[in-house]
Amino acid sequence: MPRASSASASPSIAIDDDGAHAALKGALGIHTLPELEASLKARPSKGKSRALDLSGLTELDTPGALFLCALRKDGVDLIGVRPEHQALLDLVGGLDLKPLPKVAQIPPWRQLVIELGKGGDAAWHDAFDILTFTGRAVNAIGRALVHWRALRLPSISRHVEETGIHALPIVGLMAVMIAVVIGYQSVAQLRPFGGEEFTINLVAVSVLREMGVLITAIMVAGRSGSAFAAEIGVMKTREEIDALQVMGIEPMEVLVVPRLIALIIALPLLTFFADVMGLLGGAAISKVLLDVSLLQYLDRVRHAADIHDLFVGLVKAPVFAFFVGVIGCMHGLRVSGSAESVGEETTRAVVKAIFLVIVLDALFSVLFEKLGI
Amino acid sequence: MSAAEPPAKARDRAEPILSARGIVNRFGKQLVHDRIGLDIRPGEIVGIAGGSGSGKSVLLKTLTGLRRPDAGEVQVNGKKVETIGPAEKASLIGVLFQQGALFSSLSVAENIMLPMREHTALLPEDQARIAAMKLELSGLPAETGIKFPSQLSGGMVKRAALARALALDPRILFLDEPTSDLDPLTASGIDALIVKLNHSLGITVVIVTHDLTTLFTICHRIAVIVDKKLRIDTLEKLMQSDQPWIHDFLHGPRAEGAMAARKQNHGNR
Repeated sequence: MPRASSASASPSIAIDDDGAHAALKGALGIHTLPELEASLKARPSKGKSRALDLSGLTELDTPGALFLCALRKDGVDLIGVRPEHQALLDLVGGLDLKPLPKVAQIPPWRQLVIELGKGGDAAWHDAFDILTFTGRAVNAIGRALVHWRALRLPSISRHVEETGIHALPIVGLMAVMIAVVIGYQSVAQLRPFGGEEFTINLVAVSVLREMGVLITAIMVAGRSGSAFAAEIGVMKTREEIDALQVMGIEPMEVLVVPRLIALIIALPLLTFFADVMGLLGGAAISKVLLDVSLLQYLDRVRHAADIHDLFVGLVKAPVFAFFVGVIGCMHGLRVSGSAESVGEETTRAVVKAIFLVIVLDALFSVLFEKLGI
Repeated sequence: MSAAEPPAKARDRAEPILSARGIVNRFGKQLVHDRIGLDIRPGEIVGIAGGSGSGKSVLLKTLTGLRRPDAGEVQVNGKKVETIGPAEKASLIGVLFQQGALFSSLSVAENIMLPMREHTALLPEDQARIAAMKLELSGLPAETGIKFPSQLSGGMVKRAALARALALDPRILFLDEPTSDLDPLTASGIDALIVKLNHSLGITVVIVTHDLTTLFTICHRIAVIVDKKLRIDTLEKLMQSDQPWIHDFLHGPRAEGAMAARKQNHGNR
């Protein structure tokens, strides 16, 4: 009583077992093996027949042969094997088969403790690495400035273009948007007190002192910090860093210093551009919400903010630039071999750079407050 | 050139499992292949040779359907390669890429089980058992299964990638430079493995290589790409060719060692 196959078009397998004599008919392969196993499970062998007739088998592949070899090991005689299947059975039967080793399972609570410990250790090493790398970077920049030849001007100019000029549109747009957001919020909050004209003061001061530089630095950390990490990381995976070292060229000097200097040049300029765009955004929102003309607006800005506010914003830019660059380059050089690691280090570089920018901004606020600027 | 003559004769009469007609490939204005034709019969081991930049890898990409030729068509098992569905294609052809192309985020065993998981109804424990067998078949211990590709040496990567290419027991196995970057002993091991698989699984093998020893010792026929054209023949006939590149390629200083290996190999059989 052969079992009906599920579909006639696709290859199928059937077991013909009348208690005394068992035979396989059809194609035994990777696609029909689940079917056979299911039918064996549904109707276990009656245990009498210890021989399996394979003469009806039309096709056999390695998973099928593996299954038959396992049966043979359990004491089932394979009879009527076709000559073309014999070689395959010999090949698979001749292998020294061992199961795949199990990956050790760790209970979740222990996993948590291990992760916490590893995280703490990594954080400590990270802090140490940033400190070390900052030292090396300052040293390399100092040397490059003293030895004029070590300063790679073409490379610096290329990076100024990539990190600065190419970022102009997005930075400008963000600055305008931020000014609009601050403008709307201020008007809504100040109107009940009849002080909505102070909106202009609020927009001008917050853009010049904080928002312009902060938005620019975060944007650059996302754009250029990640680019630095990925560029240097890919060079690391392709052994280009090793090639430089073998040639007696210091990777710090050719890869890190030009990027850092370029960013230190580009970020203050971008910040100034963001300030201008932010003030223009403020002008637009004042026109719409307060019906203040451009000339009136400029006059109000002149009274509300002075050169100190611009200076307070701009002075932070080179510091942010230095740390964004340092973190991007450091993570790029930390890449180890695989493509996966490039992705990991790039992510870490961006997250850490943005975090550091905000922490430094908070520290600057405290510092300027104490100094009374 | 395999052990017995009759199977080879039968092979010659069989319908080709892979055939290419009038293949033209060009990059911009540069013509790489000019109306190439190729027939490969079931159970054959065919080597594809040619100078650097002669378009060997492009031909391999065309034959596997990864690249659509600018003209001409490729048939695998009597079907146009671009009309074959993904699941059918996976069980028809397996490819060993030059760098292995093992997925770095998966362990070796998971790499091998991936096509099984996608295209069969096998239970996970059966997949694991089959993966262990494929590893063993490719000459790697089962312990390699839990390792990640980045932890493997060059030769182990090739073997693991071969195990993955064999995951669904394909009818045709394409190998892109299987012995490059390997030391001679490991390379010979790979050659022996290819012969073993061809012999016992009846698998058709297409090897892109410029390893003369591989071409001389294990290939039944050799396809040479010269001047945008392809010439396929047995080694003996190609040796007599007066085409300058083919002549230099097969009679150069490196060919002597490969010829000696071929003689030794034949002596052993």
